[in-house]
Formats: sequence, structure tokens, C-alpha cells
Amino acid sequence: MDKKNIFLFLIILSISCLAGPLMLSASDEVSHGGDIIYDKPVKAVLFSHKVHAEDLGMGCDSCHDGIFQMASLTVQKEADFTMEGLSKGKYCGACHDGSMAFDSDSQCARCHIGVKGYDRAQGIKSGE
Amino acid sequence: MKINTENLKEDMNTVSKIERREFLKIGFLITGVFAGGTVLSLASNIRGAFASTGEFTEKYPYKPHYSMLIRQNLCVDCERCIEACTKTNEVPSYGYRTIILEKVVPDAIGQKREFIPVLCNQCNNPPCVRVCPTRASYKDKNNGIVMIERKKCIGCKACVLACPYNARYFNEEVHAIDKCDFCFDTRLSKGEKLTGCAAACPTGARKFGDISDPNDFVYQMIHQIEKQVWVMRPEAGTKPNVFYMKA
Repeated sequence: MDKKNIFLFLIILSISCLAGPLMLSASDEVSHGGDIIYDKPVKAVLFSHKVHAEDLGMGCDSCHDGIFQMASLTVQKEADFTMEGLSKGKYCGACHDGSMAFDSDSQCARCHIGVKGYDRAQGIKSGE
Repeated sequence: MKINTENLKEDMNTVSKIERREFLKIGFLITGVFAGGTVLSLASNIRGAFASTGEFTEKYPYKPHYSMLIRQNLCVDCERCIEACTKTNEVPSYGYRTIILEKVVPDAIGQKREFIPVLCNQCNNPPCVRVCPTRASYKDKNNGIVMIERKKCIGCKACVLACPYNARYFNEEVHAIDKCDFCFDTRLSKGEKLTGCAAACPTGARKFGDISDPNDFVYQMIHQIEKQVWVMRPEAGTKPNVFYMKA
């Protein structure tokens, strides 16, 4: 009985040891946060992790080291998560200042996808 | 292809047929991508369809001459204007007094979309008033706002078809056509200075004012030679009082 149990245990252990790294590497491929859609203070702003992390090759700690928390949308609770805040170098404005990246004062609809974009992302069909 | 914009400034009747056709083609090509854009697909805002500024600047027929300036690039489609309008004017869920069009240009560099607020243009030459068989639609003699006398409206919808801006709908609750009146009934006549939408706009995309007053913001923005200002569908000859520009 004991031997059988130990045998089983060893099998399970070996499987988990093998599978563990495999699962990790599989989840690594999509480990950036995908699309984040802010709906406050206005509907709506799209942040693309794909563009920033994959296409531009920025590391996680470029932003998730004081500028943005890891948990998505927590920044929406901040009172200065506004265009005025961004122009003072907060949040997106830390890079989007016109020199490192396009100025947050320009190209409004590059990030702002509007209610129409929000509804599309939620799979809601507009009434028009 | 060359388009004589001088002709456009003056009068569409002086534009040759071929020129006109080319102009319309451009409109179709570029603005045909508006979301759901059928009615307004000729609203050519590319290449500068100028307002007939000559006539406009010299003499404004109304006092105050209410006008709205849409600074198109500031619109982010947050739709607070639509929310405010709906609430202020009791617009039913199937109706609208203002909409926001979306133009998407996938091949553009950088920003690939643009939002375009549209409302009644309170035309100086309103086709809706001309076709109304009961004179329910009329242009206010004092402020130039195109209004509807609800009890005269028989709901024939001739004005809905005549409007080049798709600005009218039939309101089943009041059994009459309904449209934007620059919030005259609900706000302006009660002493408010702004329309509901302009007051709600967080970006300043919608600016409301009096273009007969040189101290007015809208007057000052429109009367600049170095700024391109245009109107929707100038070829319709309606002489709109809603102007468009980029801030």
C-alpha cells in the first residue's frame, strides 16, 4: 500500500515539475495586460498593452514601477487622472509629453475611442 | 484634378457641372466611411468647403444671431452632450437632436479616427421651412432659430426628407416633428447663456455664441483669415449657422 502511494506521489510530482514551466511559458506569451479600456472620467480611453509592450518592446517596469499599479483601472480612482493631470506629467503624461511620445494635448481621438468605441468593445450594437 | 475654391466661396451655381461632379466624388470617396454615413456622406469637410463668409461677415440678419462652432478635433465622443440634450429636452430613446459621426481612416498616420458632432444647422435658407405645408416649421424672426409650432405639425415628414443634415425625427410622444432649437425653449428663453450640449462639453469642442457680437468667442474664432472654417454640405445652399474648424 505504502509503496503504491509513494509511487503515485512521485508520478504526480514529476508531472507537476514538468508541466509547471510549460504552463508558465505558455502564459508568458499573453502575459501583457491586453487592452485596457478606461471609462472614467470620460467614456472611453483605450490603452493597448500590445502596442506598448509588444510593438514598442517596453518592459513592464517602464510603467508598473510607480506610474500605474498592476491591477487594471485602479488609477481611475485618482482625482488627478484627468487631461490636466496628464499635462502635469502624471500617468500617461509621464511619457506622452511631446518629446518621449506624442503630447497628451494632441491627437485626442488617438486614445479616446468614445462611447461608440466602448460599446463596440463591449459587444453592444449602437442604435443608429 | 483642380477645384476652384473661389467658386465654392461665392455660389455653387457658378461651378461648372464637371467641377461639381468632381467635388462630389471627393466627398463620396473621403466621407463615405462615416459610421452609418448615408445621409451625410456628401458632407465634405476635406479640402475646405468654405462658408460663404462674404455674406456672413458683412451683415447678420438676426440679433442675437445664435451660432455654434464645432472644434472637430476636440471631440472625443464622450457623448455628454447627447446625455445633456436628452435630459434637457426630453428626447425619447428612439429620437435624437444631435448625433456624433465617427470617421475612421485605417491608413492614417497616428490618429486614425475623428468624431464629428452634427445638429440642426439653423440654416439661414432652411429647406425644411420651405417645404412645410402648414408652416409649423418656421424661422424665428428675432434670433434665426428654426422652430416648430407643435400644434400645427401634421407629421407629414416632408421636412425630414428636405433636411440635408438629417436633423429631424418624429416624436411620437408629442405627435410632432422634433429637432434641435439651440435649447431655446428649455434654456435660452429662461436666461441661460449656453445650450445644454455646449454647457456639458468637457473639451470645448462645442462652443455656442452670437456671431453678430464682435466680443463673442464664436465670432472671434470664425473671423480669422488664417483659420479654415467650413460648414456641412455647402452645396445644398442652406447657409448654415453651425460652423466647423480645428482648434
